[in-house]
Amino acid sequence: MVLLLLIVIPLICAGLIVFNPREQAKYIAAGGSLVSVVFGVVALAAFNWSQGGMDQLTFTTPWVPALGLNFDIGADAVSLLLIALTILLGPICVIGSFTAVVENQKTFYAWLLILQSAMVGVFCARDLVLFYICFEFTLIPMYILIAMFGSSNRRKASTKFFLYTFTGSVIALAGFAYVAWQHSVFTGEWSFNMAALGETARALNASQQAWVLLALMAGFAVKVPLFPVHTWLPLAHTEAPTAGSVILAGVLLKLGTYGVYKFALPFAPAAVLDYAPFMAVLAIIGIVYAGLICWVQTDIKKLVAYSSVSHLGFCMLGLFAVNSVGVTGSVLYMISHGFSTGALFLMIGMMYERYHTRSMKEVSGLGSKMPVWSTFMVFFVMASVGLPGLNGFVSEIMCLFGTFQSGPWTGQAGVTPGATFGMLGPVFAAFAGTGMIVAAIYLLYMTGKIVWGPTREPDDHHAHEVLPTDLSAREIGVLLPLAAGCLVFGLYPAPLMKAVEAPVNDTVAYVQSLNTGDTGRVMVWTAAHEDDHGSDHNADHGDTHTDEHAQDEHSEDHSGEGH
Amino acid sequence: MTSISPTLASMADTALHVGSAPAWVLAIPLLPMLAVVLNTFSAIFRVKTKLPAWITIACLAGSFLATAFAFMTLSGQTNVATGWKWFDLSWGAGQGQQFIADFGFYIDNLTLLWMLFVTGLATLIAVYASEYMEHDVGKGYTRFFVAFGLFVFSMTCLVMGDNMLMLYLGWEGVGLCSYLLIGYFYKKPAAVAAAKKAFIVNRIGDLGLAIGVMLTFVHFGTLEYAQLFQSEQLAGYIAAVLEGRAGDVPLMAQLIAVFLMIGAFGKSAQFPLYVWLPDAMEGPTPVSALIHAATMVTAGVYLIARMLPVFLLSEWALPVVAWVGTFTALLAATIGMAQFDIKRIMAYSTVSQLGYMFAGIAMLSSVGGVYHVVTHAFFKALLFLCCGAVMHGFAGQLDLRKLSGLWHMKGWRVVSVGMLVGCLNLAGVPFTAGFFSKDMIIAEAFVTPGYGYSLLGWTLLFTAGLTAYYTFRVFFRVFTGPVQYEPGDEHHGEDDHSHDHAQDDAHGHDGHSHEDHAHGHDHFHPHPPRFAINFVLATLSVLAVLAAGLYFVSPEKHGWVGDMLEESTAHNLYTADHSAAAMFLIDGDAHAAHDTHADAAHGEHAAHGSILGFNPHEVMYYISAIFGLTGIGLAAYLHGPRGMVSGFLGNRVEAGKCRMDAVAKAFDPIPRWAENKWYVDEFYHFLFVRPLWVVSYIFQTIDKLLVDGLVNLFGYLPRLLGRGAQPGQSGVLHGYALSMAGGVGVILFIVVLVTL
Amino acid sequence: MMTTLAQSGFPEAMSSLTLFHYLFISAVMFTLGLIGFVTRRNLIVMFLCTEMMFQASGIALIAFSRFYLEYTGQVFVIFVLTVAAAEAAMALALVVLLFRRHETLDGSVWSLLKG
Repeated sequence: MVLLLLIVIPLICAGLIVFNPREQAKYIAAGGSLVSVVFGVVALAAFNWSQGGMDQLTFTTPWVPALGLNFDIGADAVSLLLIALTILLGPICVIGSFTAVVENQKTFYAWLLILQSAMVGVFCARDLVLFYICFEFTLIPMYILIAMFGSSNRRKASTKFFLYTFTGSVIALAGFAYVAWQHSVFTGEWSFNMAALGETARALNASQQAWVLLALMAGFAVKVPLFPVHTWLPLAHTEAPTAGSVILAGVLLKLGTYGVYKFALPFAPAAVLDYAPFMAVLAIIGIVYAGLICWVQTDIKKLVAYSSVSHLGFCMLGLFAVNSVGVTGSVLYMISHGFSTGALFLMIGMMYERYHTRSMKEVSGLGSKMPVWSTFMVFFVMASVGLPGLNGFVSEIMCLFGTFQSGPWTGQAGVTPGATFGMLGPVFAAFAGTGMIVAAIYLLYMTGKIVWGPTREPDDHHAHEVLPTDLSAREIGVLLPLAAGCLVFGLYPAPLMKAVEAPVNDTVAYVQSLNTGDTGRVMVWTAAHEDDHGSDHNADHGDTHTDEHAQDEHSEDHSGEGH
Repeated sequence: MTSISPTLASMADTALHVGSAPAWVLAIPLLPMLAVVLNTFSAIFRVKTKLPAWITIACLAGSFLATAFAFMTLSGQTNVATGWKWFDLSWGAGQGQQFIADFGFYIDNLTLLWMLFVTGLATLIAVYASEYMEHDVGKGYTRFFVAFGLFVFSMTCLVMGDNMLMLYLGWEGVGLCSYLLIGYFYKKPAAVAAAKKAFIVNRIGDLGLAIGVMLTFVHFGTLEYAQLFQSEQLAGYIAAVLEGRAGDVPLMAQLIAVFLMIGAFGKSAQFPLYVWLPDAMEGPTPVSALIHAATMVTAGVYLIARMLPVFLLSEWALPVVAWVGTFTALLAATIGMAQFDIKRIMAYSTVSQLGYMFAGIAMLSSVGGVYHVVTHAFFKALLFLCCGAVMHGFAGQLDLRKLSGLWHMKGWRVVSVGMLVGCLNLAGVPFTAGFFSKDMIIAEAFVTPGYGYSLLGWTLLFTAGLTAYYTFRVFFRVFTGPVQYEPGDEHHGEDDHSHDHAQDDAHGHDGHSHEDHAHGHDHFHPHPPRFAINFVLATLSVLAVLAAGLYFVSPEKHGWVGDMLEESTAHNLYTADHSAAAMFLIDGDAHAAHDTHADAAHGEHAAHGSILGFNPHEVMYYISAIFGLTGIGLAAYLHGPRGMVSGFLGNRVEAGKCRMDAVAKAFDPIPRWAENKWYVDEFYHFLFVRPLWVVSYIFQTIDKLLVDGLVNLFGYLPRLLGRGAQPGQSGVLHGYALSMAGGVGVILFIVVLVTL
Repeated sequence: MMTTLAQSGFPEAMSSLTLFHYLFISAVMFTLGLIGFVTRRNLIVMFLCTEMMFQASGIALIAFSRFYLEYTGQVFVIFVLTVAAAEAAMALALVVLLFRRHETLDGSVWSLLKG
């Protein structure tokens, strides 16, 4: 019920904004998002964190009974944490935009709130159609935010953003539809319940799963974005208004990784095991490639946008390592990236409001001009670099550990199921690790230009009419929760790890129960595909092997435990 | 304390008893953190007094006292104090099915040893900095002390952390503080570049460390020292190595040490990752003294000492460390000889001395390396602080060609004496602390079997001579001879007041006014240091002298440091007998020493170790003294002032001219190349930075043209289709109507055809 | 049953008029409207031509409705009439606006949709 409130409250407030005078729009929006935060806290408090499965805080009502469609929402720890992130970023975006948005305020705040509802809907949907509707509906508010409130090249950016991600999602829909159809074939009735469809999908053979995985990845990889399909992101980020960028980096990208976590892994486990090394290669290319591109940017917003591509590469790498450490790291990455990169976009927005430029060539050395801003900037840069003690490190190192761990360590003490990457695990970790060096290079390069060095301001610069030279109390208030979040997340992440432990371990167990312990998977990939090892996978499920490696025993133990 | 029981079997299973430490030891890390928090509030409330300095000094002194108390009550034991759970994840109940790292602290003799000099020196240097940084009161003063406190906190995490992720936390934390403090004068592009370089080069090492940590985790299934060093797996490996079955240790376990070593090279500025340290001298001098000479840069030595059991598993790690250390020592010494900036000379000497430490810890006795860490911490901090005092007093002047005769100037005597004490130590003049610690390392080189170690020994001896030369070059040029000086360029030096003259003047500098600087050189009066700086220099001088005494504490265990290490992981099991062997040389009581080790292994080692047919430990005192004194003599001849103690040495009558000029001319390009650091920076730039930059541009172009181009192509296809159909759209109303009617007609026609 | 009912449904006096007559009239009107629409340039005349086509279809619908004794057709005609009325108001207003722009009623002037 509380989840329903979290969806409905922003919608109601959006309605109120439409029917109230323009001057009140921002206050209604702020109020609405703060009320959401209150209910978000209620949801967190009401939640039983030791439990896996997406069956808490549920609310179900029939929708289209003929098709088995339900309005069915609920949460597990992972989705609830992402909902919490979404809701936390709500007031931050609203209050952060008070001075930035002066025209069409009603449109802006109303769509911002609607966007929040849609995002919460994505994370708590238990019905596939509901998920998909919310997933696609996020595009419309974002499209409007970019197209109406963006910078100079906003039309192209918004169109590209919409069409690109929409095309991907439509292919994902085809994958979903295929699974649903198979379900109706198997069981004789239509259902879009995610858990039920997951069972069906796992029963498909390997080549069917491969197609499902391909279709789902087409939708989610674009959203993440994974390496070759990332080009919409820098454009959209650069052109979006500050609040849009924060939401985009903070939550919308996570729809992709959440989709991979929630659908790709449990729906197509056999295919995931087969294709994980390929996905990992794409992720690593993304990490290094996007990182290096960051280095040569002059527009700092574009730099941070590309850094998202690089960072999300770690997230995907952890997911496709499919072991507890990697997937937990990845889930934590989804949240942590929302804090640090969201905050960086806010910082850039604050600078932009004052100088009306984001070019490192025009503005530099703000350290003495805006000491408070600079302090926050260095802080969030360090969070983004992955400095231990701050949020970025916790998730990044866990993704790397997970990657490393899914190497050829059969029988070693520190290793339980899953040599997902085979011999390549440590190599992947090492290459991805160079991303940490590259991150230091480009982020410190940016800091060195913008914060340190001799002060330079644009020629036609004159003081902002409303804003002080340095940050105002409102702006500091917006940044402080994020900074505190980064710090707490970095120093005391153990509760979060414990919270996501149960659902993550379940997901890992789904996949690894099919792992035959064949550490050379990637080497024999082509051969394996000509075989009918799909049937192997099915046979493995639930069987006991006495003659297999220790690894299998681990996995069997584990899947027994997870349920 | 137990005495050494050097049979191989008993060494292999030295049981480690880990207790839990009393809660008050958490004060050691938390007090520096408290200083950070309080100073952050000072920053928020824009405190314009010296309050931040006093807060920091008080907290660090408290931390030092807590360490000292811990030393008195807990030394000889191994304890763990857990703060809270940091990483906590499990996916099963079995061994290695947890990923756990506590925010906890591991206290044994090794950490206590390190923490004693870290907190002690940090307190002293904070006192020094309270005066040194006073021109920035109300501006960067608070920022300085926030980073300073944070550094000490990070250092405690690094040294005391009870698992490898805590070590990593401290490792990168000190890197951050180093970054912030090198870039303290953030208006200077050089400082910004140096800060960035330090962080990035360190990150390269950090990647090695991270991989080492990951390997440790997958191999031993734990990250916690207590579990790691108690694990039977590790004990089994060590037993295998001690019994000569090194091949039984899996490759992956051997690789751990190799990767950790890369991390150590980065943090401790060893070749090829040493390039950041000399540039790091752009930071304020107290920072150079504390972080870049005494404490942070020794973290690599700490890492190896802490993980020594793991390093012993690898056949290559320690030899590589020894070779790299020696090479770095030589390389940095040759560069240091040709520099003119005294702080830079000290920086290169730090790199060089770190090379000694690495060589030392990689040799059979870890004691020599660690002892050198301790002695070096004191005398190098002293040297840096003296250089800082000079720099402070002469408006940023650091060029030894423009300073002369400070000994004879009023108010500079404490600095001069401090400098002399530091130089004597660094040059390894007999009976100084530096002499003993360096000898221990060099002698070990001749004793350690295999891998051409005696070549390393000779190289280190030669380098010791070079060290003595460049050290006293500075002393003779700057502190002796005629009184001559030129003030530094304010804009260049770190005493950079130019960025805010108005505010500077408003503060009013009691005792010595900075307005003088503005009037040019004619009216320049150097301002000698006042009480705080002199006090710290005097204290450090005394401590640097006293550090020699540590050598004579519990001599049967190779000095106090050996005594401390014996109860820690840095105790080199492989050669426990051997380190004791060196000991009898000190008191000449060979008989007593022989009693403590009566195993065959000793004989074997002794057979390997000889220098020109003598026992290295016996003759090293004389040989190294000869090298050191020769270096000093050479320095005196080439740089000494006219009329020094013995009339024939030196003929320098003005600051900028000496005999060395002719020598440098004779060897022309070589000194210039050395002055330009053998062009290593340029080489790196050419080999790594530039290509990476080019690759980045290529990637950007690919991204724009190819990756995005393909996307745009797909977006363009429908449009292309539309272009094809475009001519059909005339825009004329009647045209549309006709075509519609025609269309209906065609449909009707078809319908009729079909129905008929 | 349908046919008998339908055929007997026509009044005796008009029995000479069969469904064919109505459909023929409808077709003629529609064709005239179409020809008018295509050949004439005057916007108002073109509009009247479309109205004529509408009414043609209406006649056909009523004829069929009567023929099959199904009232759906008649209901549709009422819809068509309503729409036509609304459309007339709109379209004439548009024509006036267009006239104001170019001071002519020539429909061929407007070719903004040219691709």
